[in-house]
Amino acid sequence: MSNNKLTVIDREGSTHDLQWEPDQTLMEALRDNDLPVLASCGGTASCATCHVFLEKEVFDTLAERSEDELELLVDAEGYQECGSRLSCQLAFSQDLNGVTVTLAPEE
Amino acid sequence: MPSQQPTESVLNPIVIVGAGHSGVAVAAGLRSRGWEGDILLLEAEKEAPYERPPLSKELLKAGAPDESTVLRKEKFYHDKRIDRRAGLTVDAIDPAGRTVELSDGSRHGYHRLVIATGSRARSLTVPGAELPGVQALRTRDDALELKRALVPGARVAIIGAGYIGLEVAAAAAAKGCDVTVLEFQDRVMSRVTSEPVSRFFERLHEQNGVRFVFGAAVTAVEGSDRAERVVTADGAAYPADVVLAGIGVVPNQELAAEAGLQCQDGILVDDDGRTSVPGIYATGDVTRFTSTIDGASQRLECIQNAMAQADRVAADITGQAPADPEIPWFWTVQHGVRLQTAGVRHPDDDVIVRGTPAEVKFSVVYLRDGRLAAVDTIAGLTDFRPAKKLIAQKTRIDPLLAADPGTPLTDAAFAAS
Ligand SMILES: Cc1cc2nc3c(=O)[nH]c(=O)nc-3n(C[C@H](O)[C@H](O)[C@H](O)COP(=O)(O)OP(=O)(O)OC[C@H]3O[C@@H](n4cnc5c(N)ncnc54)[C@H](O)[C@@H]3O)c2cc1C
Ligand code: FES
Repeated sequence: MSNNKLTVIDREGSTHDLQWEPDQTLMEALRDNDLPVLASCGGTASCATCHVFLEKEVFDTLAERSEDELELLVDAEGYQECGSRLSCQLAFSQDLNGVTVTLAPEE
Repeated sequence: MPSQQPTESVLNPIVIVGAGHSGVAVAAGLRSRGWEGDILLLEAEKEAPYERPPLSKELLKAGAPDESTVLRKEKFYHDKRIDRRAGLTVDAIDPAGRTVELSDGSRHGYHRLVIATGSRARSLTVPGAELPGVQALRTRDDALELKRALVPGARVAIIGAGYIGLEVAAAAAAKGCDVTVLEFQDRVMSRVTSEPVSRFFERLHEQNGVRFVFGAAVTAVEGSDRAERVVTADGAAYPADVVLAGIGVVPNQELAAEAGLQCQDGILVDDDGRTSVPGIYATGDVTRFTSTIDGASQRLECIQNAMAQADRVAADITGQAPADPEIPWFWTVQHGVRLQTAGVRHPDDDVIVRGTPAEVKFSVVYLRDGRLAAVDTIAGLTDFRPAKKLIAQKTRIDPLLAADPGTPLTDAAFAAS
């Protein structure tokens, strides 16, 4: 058991506190904890159903989004230039321990 | 809505046959919908359930690891109490006794049975099709075999210019193979898209060194102890070290048909995945059903459908409301260019091109009786999301406005529809 935590605000505005296992991407942590993340492309940056918003401070600490990721995000519902990420493209890191993420509206 | 729970009399598990995208999604959906009874997930292949789309894309790339992308980590099955058994096939169903018989001779009773057996690659039946070097692509083993064969300079003949054939053509060309695609029709992806999109992708492939032969009726594969050439009806011969048949899929319905379930090129199911036999559901590639959008009888071979049907099955079993029906959608990536389609196009739909295919990013909308029926977006998803909504609402579209890529698709809708 890890002590890595994650707080999620779902589409209804409710808050969920989850465990984030170090071997999971953020998408897997969300999906495998029964949050409504379809992840229909299985985490290959192809579907945008795993779109989340990060707080700007957290967003700024992360590496740039790949071209594929950006291409999908710019046309996704509610795209935020400094907040939108595909959760399947985010591996766990200590810096992300304890973050709050918000699920983007459904496509 | 509260989840219906197994009553005392329900001691048998929900048995799911096939741990592909759809079968695993049913198991996951049952748990997320609160089902507490036992779940038995049976799979013929030995390894952990994995993603198929990367098999013709990421996995084939030079330097890509051989590991498959698993659908769920092992811990998930454990945490969710999903009894997953691999390397076992279900050989027979006894609907009257509500039992299934497995390849190890064991029998298991079921409370509800879910058939998620998917489809298999249609096999090439011409003489020589059994020669080493000739293969299809459906499983991880197929993909690894293909990956090993795609070495620089290898001569690759691909039979069929559908999604899989073209994705493999792109991967092979990128690896420095000499690629020829043999297609019976006069253009690529003719079953799923219109001529402007076909022509765009043909050019893209040709710029990357792929050769096309249209109107090609393959009559034989020849070679002494392995494939050396593919022969077509006009007598032409195409030298090949690797022959990939990408000629469509066949639903794995035999198990269901033998148990008396109604099948017609697919197990027939209703909107909730119920088959003609009480207590038995089917979901995913193996099913045929009536579209809620246009009433057409269809079999869809895509992840979106595999997931959406699985959710409806889980909803029905637990007595909960299903999610709203979703417009089917599909994606393919070839030479780094994404084609993403929403809705199901018919060959006689009106075709309107938005943008210039020469400029890479464009889309094509399909109108049926003046209403939006489908869209193809190429290298950009601007029209994808609005189109899904407009298709669901069967919106009437002004063809002149729709032809202008500067006008958002939503603004091309007629006010009074
Ligand atoms: C190479 C490739 C690329 C693809 N790319 C895309 C893509 O980009 N986008 C997209 O939307 N779709 C894509 N698809 C299609 C997509 O993978 C399928 O639509 C999807 O896998 C269907 O899921 P399923 O669960 O119905 O069937 P499957 O994933 O085929 O799973 C069925 C499982 O049932 C098992 N089984 C069968 N019979 C038995 C039995 N009697 N007992 C026990 N187990 C049994 C099989 O071994 C199999 O694992 C691709 C398919 C392939 C092959
Ligand atoms: S899961 Fe599809 S883009 Fe992340």
